[in-house]
Parts: sequence; structure tokens; C-alpha cells
Amino acid sequence: MKKRFQLSTPTKYAINAFLAAVLLVGGTMLYNSGLLNRASKAVLIQCGIYSILAVSLNICTGYLGQLPLGHAGFMAVGAYVGAIFWKATVSWPAGLTILLGLLIAGLAAAVFGIIIGIPALRLKGDYLAIITLGFGEIIRIAIINLDGITGGTPGLLNVPKYSTFLLTFACLVATIFITHNVVHSRHGRAILSIRGNEIASESCGINLTYYKVFAFALSAFLAGVAGAVYAGFQGSLFPKSFDFMASINILVMVVLGGMGSMTGSVIAATVLTALPSLMQALSSYRMVIYSLLLIVVMIFKPSGLMGTKDISVSRFIEKLVNGELFKSRKKEGQEHE
Amino acid sequence: MSEKLRPLGPKGFVPERDLDKIPVLETHHLGIDFGGLTAVNEFEITIGRTEITGLIGPNGAGKTTVFNLLTNVYKPTRGNILLDGVSTAGKSTAQLCRMGIARTFQNIRLFKDMSVIDNILVGLHHEMDYTLPEAILRLPRYWRGEKIARNRAMELLGIFHMQDLAETPAGSLPYGAQRRLEILRALATNPSILLLDEPAAGMNPSETAELMENIRRIRDTFQIAVLLIEHDMSLVMGICEGIAVLNFGQIIAKGTPEEIRSNPTVIEAYLGKQQEV
Repeated sequence: MKKRFQLSTPTKYAINAFLAAVLLVGGTMLYNSGLLNRASKAVLIQCGIYSILAVSLNICTGYLGQLPLGHAGFMAVGAYVGAIFWKATVSWPAGLTILLGLLIAGLAAAVFGIIIGIPALRLKGDYLAIITLGFGEIIRIAIINLDGITGGTPGLLNVPKYSTFLLTFACLVATIFITHNVVHSRHGRAILSIRGNEIASESCGINLTYYKVFAFALSAFLAGVAGAVYAGFQGSLFPKSFDFMASINILVMVVLGGMGSMTGSVIAATVLTALPSLMQALSSYRMVIYSLLLIVVMIFKPSGLMGTKDISVSRFIEKLVNGELFKSRKKEGQEHE
Repeated sequence: MSEKLRPLGPKGFVPERDLDKIPVLETHHLGIDFGGLTAVNEFEITIGRTEITGLIGPNGAGKTTVFNLLTNVYKPTRGNILLDGVSTAGKSTAQLCRMGIARTFQNIRLFKDMSVIDNILVGLHHEMDYTLPEAILRLPRYWRGEKIARNRAMELLGIFHMQDLAETPAGSLPYGAQRRLEILRALATNPSILLLDEPAAGMNPSETAELMENIRRIRDTFQIAVLLIEHDMSLVMGICEGIAVLNFGQIIAKGTPEEIRSNPTVIEAYLGKQQEV
């Protein structure tokens, strides 16, 4: 029998690095070329931000199998911490302060993730959903009331606008890179095994609490980073942007894309962010179309657009060379878009 | 280590070859109540290092409850358990796994949407020692750890000739293969005692015979003890060196297969009392 053609690991990495570079460089050139108007640019950045959020929530929902409803809370922590840090350090060199800001925002959200995760993850299903929902609201109310620091309801204004196309999508690529590498390691398998069967997982020596809290914290960290990028993009923050509906929005993206598929999360986040602005003319029917879309997907593909599958160009090339492309399951595309 | 020879008394039937070693598992006055119901009481057993022991009894006798007690899924109300001479009180199920106790489940609990090899790799979790940052940055220790673990997983799959199924989702395996995979996943945790909960359930006689051979081979290769719950008497009588019979949460008989087969109390528990005419 002929040996199946396979790409070596370094080649796969080179392909993915190349694609990421094409995305970042090509995207930046397009972004600065003047072909896009202000509104499309804003939509593009938002697609990136929501993709990070969806991928990060997917760690909890898709891989760990829990249903947290307070993701916007973590995003808010990251956004405000990042914004306040950036406002305080405007005089610093931009590169340093941007990176530090993202890191601090992520860490702050992760700390909240751990604090809320330890008690919340003792509960399951709807109870976890309710406690995280409550947490999200607590964060929002706290932001409103801490108006000395956060600006309260009138908002936190004049945040330095650091978020360029490059920064946003570099964060997205990093998020996908980190998530992918964590999931395909012993730590990721531990998380996946918890989704599969908690009792069996524990019998295999997996420390349930540790890995649940870890997944929660990682998810929160990435949401915090996304929040900071959001702050640097908007230039001003208002508590009402982080309400319950924001959490639901992100959850819908994850469910629609497929729980356990990063590609699905990115596609769904892009579609659901771009769609409303493309349908300006139909704005009064927007929510109807939105709901219909969800219903249709849930009827015909309850596991979401991508199920648990991820797309990989390397696998695509392997199949192409092996001539299996149209024999087995259908098309594959690109990992980083 | 110099261990004293333990007096066995009426508690055990440790085979001769294990006599001068410290027993792998020992329980004293083990019992659990659920509310007012005493599910298991005064459960005493001693298992030698390489012994194959059977735990039998009618339905509802408390056999699976014993397994749950031994793995601390339930916390015992009374008594204590010694694993390799160390008390397991206050340890979590995950910690007990690392101390050397592994199990399978009566109703199969595989990670269904993970591949066969990934299921085993979960069992090998603690055999890999790379840290999280090493995994994220894909440093050499990650590749080395993964490679060793994968080779080990393939070796384990070889026991049941399942190498070709490595990338199949575990949930799509036929029933018998799922049971075998569960045994392999338990073995992957490098146990000193393996608890099998009805390993032959749903298997046909030829599969059962093969399983029997494999359990014996696993014991010989890995030099571990096996405690199994089983209703298939051909399997129990065929491979077990010692048998404990449980009824209403109490051990009613202990001994070699021959002794158990002719024990009137056991016959009574299974078939009921013969009416005096």
C-alpha cells in the first residue's frame, strides 16, 4: 500500500506562520489603503475583537462543557483595567505601554476568573449559568458605582486609541495559537475529558477543580485582553456596553459556530458582527433575521456550523496530494481567518 | 523495604507468592450508610500484590458500592482502607489514582468524542511532566513528553490489538472494544491494583474467554493485582485465585473457587433456601 503523504510538523508551522503573516500584513495594507471607509474599518476591528471573545468563551463552553453567562464581565474588567492603565501611562513609549496594558488587563480578568471560578465551578449546568450571570451584573454595577475610578455611567473618556488592525488581529492570532496549543496538550486533554465524563476523568487522576478553574481563568484572561483591545479601539467606555446582552451575544456566536470549534467561533463572530451593519437598510428586521438564522442553524445543524471540527490548511494540502479531497468529507480552508 | 509478614487470619486468602510482601489492598471494618440504609458493612478483604480476586454476589448486594468506597467516590462511614499499607482516608479520587488504584465502570464511561488514543493519553496525564508554558510555546520538553506518551499509548493498545483504531472516536467503537479501551485507560495510569466492574458484561463466550486470557496476561506483564466484579461464573471461577461473596452488603463467604462453589451459604444466597419437605 502506498504510504499516505504527510507534512512534517515544522512545515505545518511554517504554513500557519505564513498564513498569519499574510493576514496581518495584507490586512494592514488593505486597512491603510484607503479602499475602506470608516464604517467598514470599524466593523473589521469589531470582528476581530468579537472573534477573540468567542474563541475565549469557547474554552469554557466548548472544551470544558460548562455554560457561563458572564463573559462580558471579564471583558469589562479587562477593558477598564487596560484603559485606566493606558490613560495613566500615555507618556510611556507606546509599544511598552500597549503590551503591558494588554497583559495587565488579561491578568486582572484572570484573577476575577479564579475568584468567581472556585465557588461557581462547584455547581453545574443552570446553577453555574445563574451564578456567572449574577457575577457579570455585579461587575457592571460595581463599575457604575466606582465612578471615581471608572467614570461611572457618563463613561470613561479619552482612552488612548492604541488598537490598530495589526494589534487587534495579532491578539486574535495569539489567542488562537494559545488556545490551540493548550487544547492539544495534556492540559487540554484533561479539560476535554472533564466535558466527556467527570467521574471517569477524576478516576484517571485528573484534578477536576484545578482544571476547571484553569480553563475558566484562561478564558477570562483572553476575554480581558479582548476587553483592552476594545477599550483602545473605542476610546471611551460605558458600563452599558457590558450588560447581560453582551454576554448572550458572545454565547450565541459560540453556539452558532459550533461548541468546540475555534474556526466556527471566528466565522460566527465575523458573520454576526458584520451582518447587522450590512443590513442597515433592513435595520427594523435585523433581530428577526438574526433569530431566524439561529433557528435555521439549530434545526439543521444543532451542533453549530462547524460542530467540533477545526479547519487546517496543512490537512487540506495533505488531502489534496493524497487525492482524498472529494472522497471523504468536504472542503477545508484556512486556520487563521 | 523490609516488611513483616502479615498474619492473615480469617480475612484473606493471599496466594503463596505474595505472602511475604505487604498486601496491595487491605480494608478494616469498612462500611457505609446511606441515610438509614446500611449499604456495606464490615467489609474486610486483603489482596496480595499479584492476586486476581473476584467479588461476586446477587444484584444489589453492594459490589459497585465497594468499588466506589475503595476509590473514595463515596466516603466510608466506618472503617479504613490501606493501599500499599498507606491509609487512603481524606484523599480525593484523583489522588488515589496517583497512589495506584485504577478502575473501570459498570456502565462504560469513556470520553466518547475523544479519539481512542486521546482516551489513553488522559490516563497517561501524570506520565508527562511538561508544564503549561512549555505546552503553549511548544518547547522540546513538550514534544519529548508527547512522543513518549504516544508510544506508550500505542504499546498499551497493542495488548488488545487495537493500534489501527487509535484515531477512531471512542464513542463509535463496538461495545466490546469500548470495554477493552476502558481497561487500557485504567492501565495507563500505572496502577498497582486494577478494579474491573463487570468487564465481561455483554460479551459472547468466545470474547469472554479471550478477555480472561488477557486479564491474566495483564497481571503477569504488569505484576499488578486485579479485583473484579463479574456475574459470568466461567470467568470468575476460571481466573480468580480468591473470591469474596457479598450479600446485603456483608461478606458471606471467602475462599478459593472450589470452596465457594461448594459453600452452602453462597448457594442459598444465589438460589434461595431449599424447602424442607
